[in-house]
Amino acid sequence: MNSETTDIADDAPASGKTEPKIAVDDVRKVFGRIVALEDVNLTVRENEIFAVVGDNGAGKSTLMNVLCGIHGPTTGSLRLDGRPVAFESPDEARARGIETVYQDLALMDDLDVATNIFMGNFPERRIGPVSLIDWEETYRRAERIIETHLERTIDPRAEVAFHSGGERQLVAIARALAFDPDVVILDEPTSALSVDATELVQDTVRTLQRNGKTIVIVSHSLDEIFGLADRVGVLYQGRMAAIMDADDVSKAELSSLMVSGERP
Amino acid sequence: MSTTNIVTRQLERISERAVLVLLENMIWPILAVISLLILVTVPRVFTNAATLELMLFAAVPLGLIVLAESICLLSGHFDLSVGAIAGFSAVFTAMVLAEWNLVSNPVLGVLIVLAVGCTIGATNGIMIAKLGMNPFLQTLAFFIIFGGGKLALTTQPISGLPDGYVAPGDSALVAIGILLASFACMVALFRYTAFGQAVYAVGSDEDAARAVGIRTDRTIIAVYTLSGFFCAIAGWMLTGYTGLVSPDIADDMVFPAFAAAIVGGISLLGGRGKLLGALGGVLLLSLIETALNVSGVDPTLIEVVNGIVLLIAILLYNTKESVRERVLSAGVRR
Repeated sequence: MNSETTDIADDAPASGKTEPKIAVDDVRKVFGRIVALEDVNLTVRENEIFAVVGDNGAGKSTLMNVLCGIHGPTTGSLRLDGRPVAFESPDEARARGIETVYQDLALMDDLDVATNIFMGNFPERRIGPVSLIDWEETYRRAERIIETHLERTIDPRAEVAFHSGGERQLVAIARALAFDPDVVILDEPTSALSVDATELVQDTVRTLQRNGKTIVIVSHSLDEIFGLADRVGVLYQGRMAAIMDADDVSKAELSSLMVSGERP
Repeated sequence: MSTTNIVTRQLERISERAVLVLLENMIWPILAVISLLILVTVPRVFTNAATLELMLFAAVPLGLIVLAESICLLSGHFDLSVGAIAGFSAVFTAMVLAEWNLVSNPVLGVLIVLAVGCTIGATNGIMIAKLGMNPFLQTLAFFIIFGGGKLALTTQPISGLPDGYVAPGDSALVAIGILLASFACMVALFRYTAFGQAVYAVGSDEDAARAVGIRTDRTIIAVYTLSGFFCAIAGWMLTGYTGLVSPDIADDMVFPAFAAAIVGGISLLGGRGKLLGALGGVLLLSLIETALNVSGVDPTLIEVVNGIVLLIAILLYNTKESVRERVLSAGVRR
C-alpha cells in the first residue's frame, strides 16, 4: 500500500459524536491463489456519497460484494454504525439496512414497474388463512417511493421494457428503497447510459442523499463520480491506494492512481 | 418540455400501452370473430344446446393439458411430455384398479393418478432445475419414455374401472366444473400469490429473478409438478369421458395444447400471458373442431385443420411480437 497517498485523517468520521456509517477494517479477500483485496481500510460517513473507483480487476466488485454480503472477508472485519457485523448473505445485509443495485439491474422486463419493485416483498392482505398480494397497496407504495424518495414520475403499472435506460436504473433504485435501507450501494450506475440518462441518474443519487441515505458508488468511470461523490477511494491491485475529498483531486490524479497506484 | 409536449407524450404512451394490452388479449376479438363466422355458416353449433355442451365436455381434457402447458410456458420453459404424462398416469392407474386389482377404492384411484402425474412432473422439474437438463430434451425424453411406457403396460384397452373413479369424468357438468375450477384456482394463484409472480419473474428473466432472491430452482420444480398434476387430472377426465383407458390415450394432444396456449397469448419465451387467455385458446380450438364435425367434414381432415390453426397461431405470435417490439422501441426512444 502506498501510505503517502492514503489519507487516513480524511478517512475518519466527520464529527466526534458519531461513528462512521460503514467501516472496513483490514479486509483481505482471497479466492484460491488470487488475492482480490489486501489490507483494505475505509470508512463511509453517514449521508455522504462515497465513490470507489479503480481499473478493471482492481477489486471494486469484490469490495462491493463484501459490503453487500455476497462474500465474507477472508480476514478483517466490517462495522456498521460502530458495531461489528458479519454478513453471510445479501439478505443479512438487507436486514441491517444495506441495499445494492447491481450493474445489470436484475429487472424483469416483461413485468410492470411496481411488480419489479416489490418482487419477493409484496404488500399482502390476509383473507382467512391465506395471504394474498394487495395490488392496490403495491401500486400505491410504488408510486410513493418513486415520487417521494426519487422525486420522479414513472407509471408503476407500465412494463419495465417500456422504459429508457435511465428510467430502468431508477426502477432498480426504487426496488432497493422498498426495503427502506440506510445505505444504498450502486454498481456502475451510469455505465452504458446516454448523457441525458446519466444526468437523470445523478440527480436521483443527489435526491437520495438529500433524503438521508448514505450512498456508495462503485465505478470505473471518472465522469460518473466527479460532481457527484463527496469522497473517492481508489483501489489499485486490491489495495486502497488513496482516499480523498472529491473536490481536492483532479481527473489526472485519479487516472494516475487508478493505473499505477500513485499520484502523477 | 412544454405542457403541450408533455400531454402529447402522455397520449402517445397511453395509446402505445393500449396497443400492448390489445396484443396481450388478442384471443378474445379472434374468438368473437370466429364465433360470428360459425354462427353464420354453421348456426347449429350455437343453436343446439346439446352440441354446445358436448363441445365444452370434449374440451375438458385438452383444456387441462393446455393449462399444464401454459404454466410451464409462463415460467420460460415448456413441456413436450404433457400428453404422455396424462396418458401414462391414466394407464398406470387403470392397471392398478382393473388389471392388477391392487386397489378398488375410487378415491385411492384418484390419489394414485394424481401422485403419478405429480411425480413425473416433479422429476422433469428436478432434472431441469437441479441437473441443468435442457427442457426440450428432458421433456422429449419423457414424451418417448412415458409414451412407450403406456404401451409397455398394456396394448389392450382397459375397462371395468370402478364407477366412482369414472363418474366425474363421465358427467359433463362435473368435468366442465373441474376444468373451470382448475383455471379459476390457477388464475388466482398466479395473480395473487408471491409464487405466481415468481413464476412470471423466472419466465421473464431467470438470472434477474435469482438476483432478487427468488429460489428459481424450487420455482421450476413446483411449476413442473403443478403441470404434472393437471396432466394427471386430464388423464383421469379422459378415462371418464371414454369410459375405458386405451393405450393411445392422450396421444397427439401436445401440439393442440401449444396452439391453444400461443393463440391464447401465452409467450413462448415466458413471463407474459394470462391463463384466462389460454382458456380462450381452448374454446377457439374446440369451437373450430365442433363446427367442422357438425358440418360433416371428413374427420381425417380435422387433423389438417388443427395443424393449420397451429401455423396461424405461430404467425399471429410472430406478428404480435414484432408489433410489440416496435411499440416498445418507439416508447423507449421517446
